[in-house]
Amino acid sequence: MIDLLAIPRRSPNSAYRTYDGQATIVLPDRAEVNVLNPIGSIVWDRMDGTRTVAQLIEAVVEEYEISPEQARRDVLEFIETLRQHGMVS
Amino acid sequence: MKIGLDRPPRSRYISRVLKAICAIQNQAQKGAVRIVLSTELTANQTSVRGDVVPDDLFFSRLREPFGTSSVVLRIGPLEMCLEGLSRRQAEDLGRKFRPFVADAAARPDVRIALYRAGVEHFLRARCDGSLEMYRLESRRSGKHLLLWSYEFASRLDPSEGRAVLALVEERGERFDRGLENFLRVLTASYILERDGLLLHASGVVRNGAAHLFFGPSGRGKTTVTRLSPEDLVLSDDLSLVVRNGNRFEAAGIPFGMAHHRTPDTRESFPIASINSLLQSVEVRREPLRGGRALAEIVASLPFVMQETGQAGRALEVVGRLLEEVPVYRLWFREEPSFWALVEETTR
Repeated sequence: MIDLLAIPRRSPNSAYRTYDGQATIVLPDRAEVNVLNPIGSIVWDRMDGTRTVAQLIEAVVEEYEISPEQARRDVLEFIETLRQHGMVS
Repeated sequence: MKIGLDRPPRSRYISRVLKAICAIQNQAQKGAVRIVLSTELTANQTSVRGDVVPDDLFFSRLREPFGTSSVVLRIGPLEMCLEGLSRRQAEDLGRKFRPFVADAAARPDVRIALYRAGVEHFLRARCDGSLEMYRLESRRSGKHLLLWSYEFASRLDPSEGRAVLALVEERGERFDRGLENFLRVLTASYILERDGLLLHASGVVRNGAAHLFFGPSGRGKTTVTRLSPEDLVLSDDLSLVVRNGNRFEAAGIPFGMAHHRTPDTRESFPIASINSLLQSVEVRREPLRGGRALAEIVASLPFVMQETGQAGRALEVVGRLLEEVPVYRLWFREEPSFWALVEETTR
């Protein structure tokens, strides 16, 4: 279970660039290139080691017409997915 | 809209020239998680029993150059001086790489000292029937980068612009392959610092404009060149993208040709289009944009995506390329009608 006060960080073993609102992330260790969709890219851009999970959820609620509960569920699932792929620490 | 990863099809690349085996996997993906396995990478491959792993001591003990001759190669904006060659090696390379051989360079980008390796091999190909992807190993050792593959091992000092290259054979196929594969790796790495790229793509020049066709092996890069008999083929496998003034151009390179001879020119030509190939019964083209275009091109860069710093640099250069050159998905069949679509870019 991800703590809402946890501060997820982008993996230092990743390289990324956001182009046209989509983040493209390279993971050399895993030989993977991943592309995030626009909402995922907003969350990724904000994972700079200063924001809590709760603040990331707030950012999504502010950016999109979405209920806090829906945003919470999606952001938590998204971060878990990133973790499974070694993209956040 | 679901938060997630946008997944292009999985693909694995191994260059035919590099004696590798290709496996293309297209999977109908569902759900939020989408991933491209970069085909150029050889990370996480297991070693094979009998692999020779060179260390600093190995390189410090190299004493025997092949001779005292040298050859300067000019590849795009890069100058590479090969030293320690026998006279015969120098003559052979001079013939083989003719348009790319330059007069002695005062300040080459890199001086490469060649030595006899004194071993029969570095990496060994698998003999157990399992899939052998081309393997290139690398390791940092202080300020040096150590690289080794089947027929070569190198210690590279990028800050000094120097490299030591140990080759297992003095001539023949294994010498050629070892040297050329090393030069490919070196070109891919050095060209990034000049805002360029070495791309797994064929390159064809029509009416003075270069068109690049990329994709994993089996997508039709060579087929496109065969369907362009009146045009200048820069490469059927690896294309060099260079920054020339304020634009991107494609340049010929002395290697990377699987089915054509080395191009007769080292000139570069403005890039009019970049096309991601798909073989099909229909002929059509759609713009390829955003992160997906970036990811597909990045996944077609050999050798430079194994290290985070270089990967970051490659993302920057590809991002700039996308801002200036249109990228398309091109469905084509084995006849030249696709050129009518491709040429629309230059009209």
